[in-house]
Amino acid sequence: MTGGGLAPEADHPADRGDDPAAVLEMTGIRKTFGGVHALRGIDFSVRPGEIHALLGENGAGKSTLMNIMCGAISDYHGKMRLEGRFVRFSSPHAAQKAGVATVFQELDLVPGLSVADNLSLGREPRRNALFLDGRRMRRSAEQALGRVGTGISARTKVSALRLGEQQIVAIAKALAAEARILILDEPTAALTAHEVELLFDLMRGLRRRGVGIVFISHRLDEVGKVADRVTVMRDGRVVSVRSGSTTPEDLVPLLTGRPAQEMFPARETVRERVCLRLTDFGYRLRRPSAGWREPAGVSLSVREGEIVGLVGLLGSGRTELLQAVCGAAPPGRRLGTLEIDGRPVRLGSIISGQRQGIGFVPDDRRRDGLVPTLSVAQNLVLASLGRLDAGGFVRRGRQREAVRWAFEAFGIKADTPTAPILSLSGGNQQKVLIGRALLRGPRLLLLDEPTRGVDVAAKSDIYRLVRSLAADGLAVLVASSELPELAGWCDRLVILRDGRVVVDVAPDTDPAVVLASAGGDTLPEVRP
Amino acid sequence: MTTEFTQSEPQAAAPAPAPPAVAPPGPGRRRRRFPVLDVLVRFQSLLGLILVLVGGLVFSPRRNGTVLFLTVDNLANIVRAVSETGIIAVGMTFVIIAGGIDLSVGAVLGLSGVTVATLMVGHGWGTAAAIVAVLIAGLLFGLLQGVVSTVMRIQAFIVTLAGLQVANGLARMVSGDKFININYGHGHGLAPPSFAVLGDRLFGNVIPVSAVVFVLVGAVALVVLNGTRFGQHVFAVGGNERAARLSGINVRRVKIITFGLCGLAAALSGVLDAGQLSFANPNSGTGYELAAIASVVIGGTSLFGGEGTVVGTVAGALLLGTLNNILQLNNVNADLQLIVTGLIIVAAAVLQNVAARRRAS
Repeated sequence: MTGGGLAPEADHPADRGDDPAAVLEMTGIRKTFGGVHALRGIDFSVRPGEIHALLGENGAGKSTLMNIMCGAISDYHGKMRLEGRFVRFSSPHAAQKAGVATVFQELDLVPGLSVADNLSLGREPRRNALFLDGRRMRRSAEQALGRVGTGISARTKVSALRLGEQQIVAIAKALAAEARILILDEPTAALTAHEVELLFDLMRGLRRRGVGIVFISHRLDEVGKVADRVTVMRDGRVVSVRSGSTTPEDLVPLLTGRPAQEMFPARETVRERVCLRLTDFGYRLRRPSAGWREPAGVSLSVREGEIVGLVGLLGSGRTELLQAVCGAAPPGRRLGTLEIDGRPVRLGSIISGQRQGIGFVPDDRRRDGLVPTLSVAQNLVLASLGRLDAGGFVRRGRQREAVRWAFEAFGIKADTPTAPILSLSGGNQQKVLIGRALLRGPRLLLLDEPTRGVDVAAKSDIYRLVRSLAADGLAVLVASSELPELAGWCDRLVILRDGRVVVDVAPDTDPAVVLASAGGDTLPEVRP
Repeated sequence: MTTEFTQSEPQAAAPAPAPPAVAPPGPGRRRRRFPVLDVLVRFQSLLGLILVLVGGLVFSPRRNGTVLFLTVDNLANIVRAVSETGIIAVGMTFVIIAGGIDLSVGAVLGLSGVTVATLMVGHGWGTAAAIVAVLIAGLLFGLLQGVVSTVMRIQAFIVTLAGLQVANGLARMVSGDKFININYGHGHGLAPPSFAVLGDRLFGNVIPVSAVVFVLVGAVALVVLNGTRFGQHVFAVGGNERAARLSGINVRRVKIITFGLCGLAAALSGVLDAGQLSFANPNSGTGYELAAIASVVIGGTSLFGGEGTVVGTVAGALLLGTLNNILQLNNVNADLQLIVTGLIIVAAAVLQNVAARRRAS
């Protein structure tokens, strides 16, 4: 039903470019921002029924290219053809009408409205030109949801959906019936392994129906799973166009422009002394909430110099466990015992956690980490202000010294320490947040999704940084939804399920076994 | 099937020169800086103030060859009029940078004025004792609003709107809803003559006492906001409350203290008001909260919190005061003054948006 306009060869044979099979073809795309060359002549094409992965580190230009494709940028040099016809979209709305649908990383859904309301937002069907036509709205919503093959009810409030389900609703919203191109901007960044699989199934279904999908991702292992072709960008140029079966090992040097290096640093000897020991540890919220999985009966230990990975699906209580340990959890009651260096401690708040030498880096950088109005330096020293002043008065010299030291020790790259924090790449922002926790000189570091939305090179930097600190005796507990990352980086994995520790395994355990223990046994094909 | 889809709208494919970019640039890229615009945005209220001062010179009526705008009396009048809202605006700057708002300040000013007058005239208190008592009361009133807002998690807008009503009601109760005349002397029903100093001018009868107090308040606020750990906490709390809390900052305490400082500033303003006028009016501060917020906004402080300057606020208050003075000197009616003030607030907000966009890029 949607494949009607997808075989355009016969329609405009004269307009054929280099890629005769392409539904969308861009040639010689150039774009500058105030003298900075973001794109230096890009050729890019998408064929119908193809999943085309677009890879590149932060700053490589893939966001700019995507913005041109979806109509957010209209002043560029070069040509774009949709089904053989020259097009230049004046707005994302015009692009969508022409059949180019885009799902941005920040989902444009209104949490307080129902799925149906969201799907018809801005073009609500009306009766008598005034009243909402609820029935027609729901019917068209159900059709849209049917196109993406999901069982989500149109009456559900968006805020009641999991992030993965919201993503699917956002795709349904973007995908008009006749969409030829679907652009997905890092759709898997915030999803768990299971949700990623559901999303991939959806993408494969759309591919069968002839939709050309542009898939922007940071996760190289995903590319091999779904992509038919891969385009790698670097410094505003296309470096390589390859088949989707290219391995991550082959992609990394293309992305970084450096010879292939070990992604993960070598493991070091772990010391005997236990830094953190949880015994039958749990946390009961004062006001229980469905969205917050209470840890219960958790027993685990982290030794000095050890990096322990927390594995678990979304809702397994990874984040909640870290929050409860460091004192950042919502008000509630702690159960069992928490020992640091063999001493039982009672933590009432994040402040008392800090005093016990616990550093915490939250998972949502923008929401819980960065202060966007402050500079890089001010963000860096935020948790250490008390140590860098004298009697409550700021000592600029001491702050500058600490910042200079941190820049060097953590490899933060910024024009100046006074640059706005948001001007940094995701990787450098993350280094600043880890640096903020480390400036206090913690004994135990808790990391929640430390490499989310971070490019390959910065990921490797972060692995190395944390490993070298561990070698000096820091104990590290890290939660991540990327199993390959934990397997390559950690000394030991702890598997969580429903807020409880299921099992404690070595990092080289067969991932299928790990996932099965985590409750993801429906995903046999996941590999590191 | 839905019918939203229409035929594609191919536009001229030629790479014609297009309008300037409005779309976000790619990550990691920054737009080239325009130093002039930077300065303008950073010190918008100072520049505005200079413009207004120049305007004052140009448009000032002259009498016998003297520029009326520049006479000592007129300049003293400006500063005197500005000092009350200015002091409040400085206190308000802390609240707004921390992400809050305080609507009660005008009512607290009125309450403080009648209270200090009643303590002296009706109860025979000394000048210092009465002033200190009223300042402490203002501080406590502000702290209380902060506690209610943060502990009970009620928006500052609502809490201080209620505070406005409460303070105004208290002021009318204390004064019996009448002006309290302050006559100086010794004995029952008279205020100590030392209180009259607040209405004096210093340094050869040139500089009003209220102006000196205003400058001192501004200087202390400048140091507290930019030179202390508390000041850095205020910026962090307003910029991202969750991040501040996870960084070990006691967010509640910081917010409560900003409300306390604002209440203190309002009380100080009320004392000055009574001292300058030699009477206390329970409704004296009506509308001052809006003048103060306007000064803060013109001074470049974001109502979303996280950024702002004391210097900007002081300049913003002076700008509004000077502008009103010029309009008065030229016998422009009060209605038009309000309209002009409104336009300037909008212009300041537009400039702020420009600043925010540049930062985001």
